[in-house]
Amino acid sequence: MQAMNQRHSFNLKLSRMAPLVPAALLLLGAGPLLAEATCTPPQSMKAQLQGKPTAAAFKELGVWFADQQQYACAADAFASSLQTEPDQKDAPHVAFMFGVSLYFSGDVKGATAALQEAEQLGYRDIKLHIVLATIFDSAHTTKEAEVEWRAALTFAPESSAALDGLSNDLILDGDFNGVIAELENPRLLGQRTPQQSFNLAAAYAGTAKLDEAVNVLRDGLNTSPDSLPLANRLASLLVQINRPDEALTVLDLALAQHPDDPEVKQNMAKVMQVLGAVK
Amino acid sequence: VFPDSRPLQRPRLKALALFAATVLALLSFGVLPLHLRSLGMAEFSPAVYAAQSGPRTLLHLSIDYPENGSIFPPGITPPTFLWRDAAGTSWSIDVTFAGKALPIHALSKGEHMKLGAIDPDCVADSNEPPKLTLQQAATWTWTPDKDIWAAIQANSVAQPATVVITGYREGTIAFSQARITLTTSADPVGAPIFYRDVPLMPSAGRNGVVEPLAPTAIHLIHWRLRDIRKLESHTVLKDMPTCANCHSFSADGKTFGMDIDGPANDKGLYAVVPVQKHMTIQGKDMVHWNTDGKVGQTRVGFMSQVSPDGRYVVSTFAGPDLKLGDTYYVTNFMDYHFLQVFYPTRGILEWYSRATGLRSPLPGADDPHYAQTDGVWSPDGKYIVFARAEARPPRTPGQAPAFRANDPGETQIKYDLYRVPFNNGKGGVAEPIAGASNNGMSNNFPKVSPDGRWIVFVQCRNGQLMRPDSQLYIVPFAGGTPRRMRANTRLMNSWHSFSPNGRWLVFSSKARSAYTQMYLTHIDANGNDSPAILIDNATAANRAVNIPEFVNIDGDGIEEIDVHVADEPK
Repeated sequence: MQAMNQRHSFNLKLSRMAPLVPAALLLLGAGPLLAEATCTPPQSMKAQLQGKPTAAAFKELGVWFADQQQYACAADAFASSLQTEPDQKDAPHVAFMFGVSLYFSGDVKGATAALQEAEQLGYRDIKLHIVLATIFDSAHTTKEAEVEWRAALTFAPESSAALDGLSNDLILDGDFNGVIAELENPRLLGQRTPQQSFNLAAAYAGTAKLDEAVNVLRDGLNTSPDSLPLANRLASLLVQINRPDEALTVLDLALAQHPDDPEVKQNMAKVMQVLGAVK
Repeated sequence: VFPDSRPLQRPRLKALALFAATVLALLSFGVLPLHLRSLGMAEFSPAVYAAQSGPRTLLHLSIDYPENGSIFPPGITPPTFLWRDAAGTSWSIDVTFAGKALPIHALSKGEHMKLGAIDPDCVADSNEPPKLTLQQAATWTWTPDKDIWAAIQANSVAQPATVVITGYREGTIAFSQARITLTTSADPVGAPIFYRDVPLMPSAGRNGVVEPLAPTAIHLIHWRLRDIRKLESHTVLKDMPTCANCHSFSADGKTFGMDIDGPANDKGLYAVVPVQKHMTIQGKDMVHWNTDGKVGQTRVGFMSQVSPDGRYVVSTFAGPDLKLGDTYYVTNFMDYHFLQVFYPTRGILEWYSRATGLRSPLPGADDPHYAQTDGVWSPDGKYIVFARAEARPPRTPGQAPAFRANDPGETQIKYDLYRVPFNNGKGGVAEPIAGASNNGMSNNFPKVSPDGRWIVFVQCRNGQLMRPDSQLYIVPFAGGTPRRMRANTRLMNSWHSFSPNGRWLVFSSKARSAYTQMYLTHIDANGNDSPAILIDNATAANRAVNIPEFVNIDGDGIEEIDVHVADEPK
């Protein structure tokens, strides 16, 4: 409960959140008072929150604040719920909501600790791992992010978000074979996003399998005809393997859809140079 | 409560970083040309380009169905061709033949792939409407009319037909093309397919225990018969008040057996009846596996199989000393995609004689140290092929729960295929089938080809039944080198059944949808199979088709099955 204990010091929390809180409000007083001042519960819940509110009441309040996108207030409410009844049956879920609230309120460090705590408490949901992976990616700790993306995939093996994220990180780490292993899973046929096609082609290209890279990009482009990254990359590779005529057709189509795109123009110029069309 | 967290991935920054990293990676591997770095130095003039534009090198469009090398059964209803194309806005479809037959030329403005009609009774909070994948949403379709399809079929028997799809822009400028070949087999399917048509509506009961289907929805299960030459299936059984499960027909198509739950959820009942156009199952037709009258003690008739001559039934039972709960690993999930994990961890094979009404253990497959299950007959009735694994409790104390199919928390069990002589019920020594045993995988659900030459079985990492990773393999009956079948689709391949002539195999898959569909593959005399052929319109888009089985009868050989036993007091 380390993260929660940290979070339960409202003053500490507010000092961390100072950039997010208007200075005028900071002048209003101590943490809890400030929280009350900035986080106004709905009229309908005031009765529940008078006296000694229950953990369930705080949780409900947190949900309400989250619905209003007042995530700092939601985090305070969820923390209060956990503080009121640490052993409540729904503690793992509340801890998760606490962590996500911190995340959306900008407290990434606290969010990380809280979400990991939620997992230790037994909370199992793909969202927990996606948020953690996103946090780690933001911090450029790709190895930790990869662990979380893989954990997310155990919940939903075809999750586009997780596969996009994992393959992005593996590419950044230069683990091309890892990308191929993940994205060539037969289960994913028909599911590839443009990002995954791009990454898989990059992985094949990175392992000198250019024909495979071209096939992946071509298939990806047939699924997503308006994808400029796929078109440009396909054209580049086609030039590389001495198929500039085909590259020309790819770029011709891309140009028709994106007449002002500079990369398409550059690639077109290059292809035409190769073809001897530009003097 | 919370918004999707994905926007916080900062996609543009990620994409930028990814692009930079990829370029670096490609450069480092010498993939990108060095002169790429000088891109932009040459100027591109659209006007000059337009003036010079002429014939294009055609791009490859992707034909997803039928796959190249597909073999269709004669008389099957017209398939829907599926392709994706980055370029075309209209298409031509040209079919040419090896003989003197005139080519076929068709035009298509292209229709996007669509989902079929849904059954409103099967919409639930615990499932989702069927939806197109990213690829499917980009897919174009063409379905030949019955005359064109008949011409294609008639002229593609001796040698393959070549189908060329060409994509056009602005009406006449060809931009893309791809081709496949397809063949029409000389081998008819020759029999209808009996299958179960079910809703995917897992339900959490009052006590929170998840059930694959709420008792109030059991009546939505249909049993249907499909002649692949017809556009629709025929429902032969529905509105059952209790569950009916695994079924089997004798090889001659004259005897039908099916698990039918009785009163008080007694899962120890099994119906064995003659196959007729109008079938009636009554109390007198029922076998009570629980001969001691104690409901649910030893059930189970798991994977019961009627012998080829209809005289016997072989099935899996807990054995004399175990209760049902000590023999099966069962976990149900609220995820409708794969809503149940279910396999025996203990059990013996027993055989039932319809003549004597007695049930006896089968020596060689009755060792309580093993789980012995999935028994099927060789076509001559001389052997039982079955799956065997070391026996273990369904769960161990402190075992982590499984939250989804293939969760590491599942009880781990890997079956091997064995063969044991039936020997008029005296059994014999069980022998492992090389190529389907001791390979680090779970080998299960065997089916023997009608000519007795092959066993087609399922291979997966763990357990059996409804495994997302299940793949079909074929191995000689005596054992040998197994071959992964060409027909395997991307997701779940199982519940297979041979046609009576042995040339076709029907199986279930979730390749196109979480709502399972049926496919066919042709198997030649050497055991070579062909890409999967979808049996269209087997059910609503939000219902699943499973346990398909060929029945050796005419296409309309069963009109209805009337069950008068399920609601009878015991």
